[in-house]
Amino acid sequence: MSSIPWPFPDPRGIVAALRSGAGRRISRWARKRQGRDPVTTTLQPGRVYILPTGVGVVYGLMTFAMLLGSMNYNNNLSFVLTFLLIGIGFVAMHQCQRNLVGLEITFAGTEGVFAGQAMRFRVAVTNRSRSARYGIRLYCAYSKTEAEDLQPGESKVFVLPVPTEVRGRLRLDRFGTRTLFPFELFRAWAWLHMDLEGLVYPAPAREVPEPPPTMTAQGHRQHDARGEEDFAGLRRYHEGDSPRHVAWKAYARSGQLLSKQFAGADTSSQWFDFDDLPQADVEARLQVLTRWVVDADRTLMDYGLRLPGTEFPPSHGAAHRRRCLEALALFGADDS
Amino acid sequence: MAKARGTDGSLLTSLPWTLAALAFAFAPHVPFVPAWITGAIVACAAWRYVIEKRRRMLPATWVRAMLALTCFLGVLATYSSISGVGPGSALLAIMAALKLLETRKRRDQYVLLFLSIFLIMSMLLREQYLWSLPYMAISVLVVFTAWLRLESHHAKGARRSVATAGRLMAYAAPLAIAMWIFFPRISTPFWAVPIDTSRASSGLSDSMSPGDISSLSMSDEVAFRVVFDGDVPAMRDRYWRGLVLTRFNGRTWTGREPSISAEARAQISVSGDPVSYRITLEPTRQQWLFALDMPVSWSLPQTFMGPQQQLARVTPIDQRTVYDAVSHTEYRVATALPRLYRDWYSDLPEGSNPRTARLAAEMRAAAGSDREFVEQVLRMFNEEPFFYTLEPPPLGSDPVDRFLFDTRRGFCEHYASAFSVILRSAGIPTRIVLGYQGGEINPLGGHLIVRQSDAHAWTEVWLDGLGWYRLDPTAAVAPERIELGTREAALDGVGADWGFVPGSQWLYQMTLTWDAINARWNEWILGYGPENQNRFMQWLGMDFPDWRKMLLTLVGIVIALIMLVSAFLMLRYRPPPRDPASILYNRFVRRTGIAPRTGETALAFAARVRDSQTLAPALVDNVTDAYLQARYGPDQTRAIERLRAALRDAA
Repeated sequence: MSSIPWPFPDPRGIVAALRSGAGRRISRWARKRQGRDPVTTTLQPGRVYILPTGVGVVYGLMTFAMLLGSMNYNNNLSFVLTFLLIGIGFVAMHQCQRNLVGLEITFAGTEGVFAGQAMRFRVAVTNRSRSARYGIRLYCAYSKTEAEDLQPGESKVFVLPVPTEVRGRLRLDRFGTRTLFPFELFRAWAWLHMDLEGLVYPAPAREVPEPPPTMTAQGHRQHDARGEEDFAGLRRYHEGDSPRHVAWKAYARSGQLLSKQFAGADTSSQWFDFDDLPQADVEARLQVLTRWVVDADRTLMDYGLRLPGTEFPPSHGAAHRRRCLEALALFGADDS
Repeated sequence: MAKARGTDGSLLTSLPWTLAALAFAFAPHVPFVPAWITGAIVACAAWRYVIEKRRRMLPATWVRAMLALTCFLGVLATYSSISGVGPGSALLAIMAALKLLETRKRRDQYVLLFLSIFLIMSMLLREQYLWSLPYMAISVLVVFTAWLRLESHHAKGARRSVATAGRLMAYAAPLAIAMWIFFPRISTPFWAVPIDTSRASSGLSDSMSPGDISSLSMSDEVAFRVVFDGDVPAMRDRYWRGLVLTRFNGRTWTGREPSISAEARAQISVSGDPVSYRITLEPTRQQWLFALDMPVSWSLPQTFMGPQQQLARVTPIDQRTVYDAVSHTEYRVATALPRLYRDWYSDLPEGSNPRTARLAAEMRAAAGSDREFVEQVLRMFNEEPFFYTLEPPPLGSDPVDRFLFDTRRGFCEHYASAFSVILRSAGIPTRIVLGYQGGEINPLGGHLIVRQSDAHAWTEVWLDGLGWYRLDPTAAVAPERIELGTREAALDGVGADWGFVPGSQWLYQMTLTWDAINARWNEWILGYGPENQNRFMQWLGMDFPDWRKMLLTLVGIVIALIMLVSAFLMLRYRPPPRDPASILYNRFVRRTGIAPRTGETALAFAARVRDSQTLAPALVDNVTDAYLQARYGPDQTRAIERLRAALRDAA
């Protein structure tokens, strides 16, 4: 896209543009025709499209040549062979389409990734029929999966990796499922437009300044800082709390998971503040913050994140990390 | 661009099947292609398989190029041309063998499978026996199984691939049959390519040199089969007219190239009842057609009658051909013949066969009229010691003289030739007709089998007022040849001396049965041409069938059958039956008015329902217990009954 403009039109480029233009028009048409699909969609016959493949075209030409030969020689046995092959072609077409019709396709979630990593959309395909389906494959604009067979009642999860470049929400507007079974003479496919969405966190900056010093080092006494010196009370267990801090006795009594909270001089909680960063560029600041969050999470330190308009008080654990990263990913987005 | 030549054994799932498909497709060609081609393809296949098995390297490009060059030169040297079925299938086989050596990816094998299909096709162009059809079906099954194996990533499941390929072929079979029946047949080929079967044709030759070849083949091969509409004519009337020889150079009788004659048909005047029949002619690679003497109408397109009332087609009979004809056994031809023609038909080379010429002059002088003279000559053949034998001694120069005065042993050609020469010496126009005489009735099929061993030559004599009149000197010498046919004649004569006995009755019966099946096969399957198709269409109730109607019917039937296949597939992929327990339980869930949560067990749901107090707790427990019993309990049928009863109580 961002290549240097070439003064002469490239013929291949023109063909590609025409093709992609036609492709866009067709996909817009399909999108309009089908509407947005629910998260679980069963493929109806009307939306499974089919076209011959290259092998299929060669096969067609071959049967046509055989028909001419049979007519020329008036040879009734080669007529039988020719018509058998033509018949198999017709049957293969219907078999190919039926191989997809009735498949149940469900979005099975995805996980946030950092910009530059591949977002892995998981899609479950279930064969709710009495016969096996062969050579089912999922594909999208960026990748395609291996072909898999599905026995009756079987469900398989396909992973569609999508490359990411920038932070924010990543939507996979369209993906498809296709099959070449039985003889690769035809390709049957169905487009799906589900709400496939994942979050792309900012890429962690490579070179980062030292994170801001902890509150203690700055000479503040933090009222809610948690160390491991003095017992300060109990709070509800959060995912990611160390098992060492779980109040097992209290759990035995009440059946509720509680974490022990400590207050002490040796607290190492940090605030990562967007406004404190020297960089001018918003994205660069977000990348630095992301780096700090990831690193801090690894060291099991408490950390807080302060963005213009939002604030996450110091804490730690997977949930906290996710909340922080989500906020960083969606920073400045219209809907956040 | 150096291509990677390594193999990783990934083709081991599909390669054996591809090789099997090639083997099936190539096997019927083995008797026809030179042995070195068979050797090459077997060697390449084995080589390729070992390469894959041991993860070796494919041969280098220059090795393959050398091999390719050698093989193509070999084919050129063997066949000296590359058109036609023979060299064509040899080339296909060689291409397959060479392609094997550069097959590296799964997809390369598509080429091999396409080549296999072409090999099967050329096998069918070559031979169309009864077993060719089942063999073809099996070959196609193997090809499509191999096709499925290309896409299959698992070493196991070959049996499933066979089953799938067989199932799809079974779906396609009705389509194929419908298309076969209704696809309009045309009678004229677009272009003529010689079909070389590498087998000498044993039909009649275009010329006749009695004495050159000292024995006549007793080939049992079928020349043609005849089905009569009415009664089968008597043996002595079964003269099957073929080509006519008019010129004699002292040694060899020759005819003319087939040519059309406008007045030939008009020269025939008939009496008596017509005989109509249908002939299924085996390929002769000649233009001549055979018909009962004398044909007056025939159904084959592009067929004409030559000046000597011989039938010929514009293109040679390369295929088994079916045609209808009507003949009259009582007829007169050309009662008036211009002087010029009379001279032409009695022309003999100067000074050849002098003794015969002298004899003829003496006999003509003794006889009162031409007619009497002809009778005298026939009587001479009958009364003097002439012998009918299929293994006559060879004749040197002036063969007619040698035959008439020295050896006096021969078969139809000798007698027809000698008779004609005597008559021509006396100025009587004659011509020799080559064809078949007799034929054996197959009581099972009700048809007449005419074999190559029934080949015959006879004479037509022009007599004033009578026109061309058939006179068979062989009948005068060996009437049993005409009355019984060659088989019996030969067995009676030479055969008996050598202790020949006819085969057992049982064997004879078997042969006849096989022949009857073959006749049906030939007539209705192989000979399903424009005429048969027309008749079949009329039998189906189509008025005035033409190709438009047939194509329309074809399209209609094919669409209907495809819809049937589609319905079949829909049925195949229908959802599995839901078990009665879950149907009943769902009814209960609907009645509670509470939506179950994802992953909620029946017990947890029951607890929530009990808490909500929408239904009686006893009922909830009863239904839940019955449902769990139906799901996991030992006696599920009873539990389902309980569940149904519990729900009925609730209603």
